[in-house]
Amino acid sequence: MSTSTDSLRRTLDRLFVPLTVGPTLLWIAGIIVYPTAQLFWSSLFWTNPITGAREFVGLRNFKDLLVGDAGGWLGVVNPTFVNFTWNTIVYVGFSVTISFLLGLGVALLLNKDLAGRGWLRTAVIVPWILPYVMSGLMWRWMFQAQYGAINGVLAQSGLIESKIAFLSDGTLAMMALIIADVWVFTPFIIIILLAGLQNVPEQLYDAAEVDGASRWSRFRNVTYPFLKPSILVALTIRIIFDIRALDLVWVMTQGGPGKATEVWASWLYRTAMVFGRPGEGAALGVVLLAVTFAIVAVLYKVFGETPYAT
Amino acid sequence: MSTETSYFDRIVDGFGLDTDNEWPSVVRERLVAYGLLGVYVFVVWFPIYYILITSIQPASEVLSLPINFIPQQITASNYVDIFANRPFELYTFNSLVVASVTTLICVTLGTVTGYTFSRHDFLGNKALLLSIVGARMIPPIALIVPFFSIMSNPPLIGWLTGSLYDTKIALILTYTFFNLPFAVWIMKNYFDGVPESLDEQAQVDGCSQWEGFVKVILPVAKPGIAATAILAFIFSWNEFVFALVLTSSEQAQTLPIAVSLFVADDFVDWAHLAAGGMIAALPGILFGLFFQRYIVSGLTQGAVKE
Repeated sequence: MSTSTDSLRRTLDRLFVPLTVGPTLLWIAGIIVYPTAQLFWSSLFWTNPITGAREFVGLRNFKDLLVGDAGGWLGVVNPTFVNFTWNTIVYVGFSVTISFLLGLGVALLLNKDLAGRGWLRTAVIVPWILPYVMSGLMWRWMFQAQYGAINGVLAQSGLIESKIAFLSDGTLAMMALIIADVWVFTPFIIIILLAGLQNVPEQLYDAAEVDGASRWSRFRNVTYPFLKPSILVALTIRIIFDIRALDLVWVMTQGGPGKATEVWASWLYRTAMVFGRPGEGAALGVVLLAVTFAIVAVLYKVFGETPYAT
Repeated sequence: MSTETSYFDRIVDGFGLDTDNEWPSVVRERLVAYGLLGVYVFVVWFPIYYILITSIQPASEVLSLPINFIPQQITASNYVDIFANRPFELYTFNSLVVASVTTLICVTLGTVTGYTFSRHDFLGNKALLLSIVGARMIPPIALIVPFFSIMSNPPLIGWLTGSLYDTKIALILTYTFFNLPFAVWIMKNYFDGVPESLDEQAQVDGCSQWEGFVKVILPVAKPGIAATAILAFIFSWNEFVFALVLTSSEQAQTLPIAVSLFVADDFVDWAHLAAGGMIAALPGILFGLFFQRYIVSGLTQGAVKE
């Protein structure tokens, strides 16, 4: 009896690794590898929107996506692709830059030895934990033309004569999206950078102060070298997340007015799910996947470590 | 520092250019820091305040000018309405089920797998860990087409289950795709920080690997597990895009979808939307207020590779 439980124990122990890793690997393979393979496969088909008939077209979806009827860059790139890529770059570029600078500033302030720091940190991170849809709709309400709070503040304080229809103007709508995005994701930057700031040895600051180093030189020579890995993590994750995130754009502008705020994510969703063109949507998905891995690869090359997880 | 200057004078001095006086410059710096942080917190919370007051005003008040930034009338009717006129109890239930089950799966598998990756060298362990982390880099939006077709017509188990489209199961399966690799990663990093002498001690005491893991390691890992669970719950609770693609009725739709349904083309029912939005936002606000520490530690474990 006891020998048989013993041998069972020993068998279970020998199987510790496969039993603890196996289920997860199977699960991940099923839930990630298979759909990813499917993505590539379905990008090779074209579905007739009227009859629903599927037809193998090889790489035609990619050609249509990237070249199209041409006329864009040097006459060889699909102008629609150029247009929406540009929107994506503007959206991601401004959002990430602004939220990074703001987040860095707040993180440096929060790193000071202040009473009530815990509460301030709590107050600062909340926007990031709310559902993005709720935040997107909330900002749509803030920017609403008649009853929105921003127009309310501007008009009732006499700063503007007539109310501004923020979301009906292409440039202003993009600006509104960027503001909402910065509002949502700055907390993430703050958290990552605050963690990084804790790696800076206190004595180095004291030494720098004794040497009479200026505030900028203290940041440049003491803080920055220690903070660099966290900065890379924060920027990479932010960029990658912003390229693929749909929530805010979809509920705030749906890519409009016109196509002024159409970014890759909303374009992909519209193509695949609204217009019912799964093959073309999948082709765009493959491009998005390739771009994501390219960005990670470049950062990996430049900085020599994998800065990625979330 | 002369003795006749008062406390007040010294603070005032601190705002001036006099920097060889060290004590007031510290005071000045703190005042500036509080001031800037105060402005930031105000700006960050103002939209939340605005949607909160929208949710507790009568719908007619919400659409009246000039805007009252301090509500003149307070009512719970928007909240009552959304449960009376729309199946908000079902949406809330769906959100709870989907987020809890996803969390349970991710925490269970993430903890055991993370532990093994932290402690054991086995064939291909580095490559496997890298592919798990790499899996998390796949942009979810890129996979809406395959997920839609797979859930509509599941391979292998399709004959057993039929279509999974518009079921909570589809959402749970999908959300583990976001969260399981993340959970493995957080827990692996967490266990890396737990001293190996604990494992050895357990073995000296005659525990099998499993007993050692359950009796000695798990209790120590509670903060890591809490961090993983909270983040997995929040991510699943907040998810919108896949819920939009994979559900179509209140048998599976979650709160984010329910909130977005208040937008009907050009007309938006702001008062009720605000009430629904507050309900959807509630776990986030509560978790943020009470478990901030775990969220921060989970995120940093998840993001920073040591």
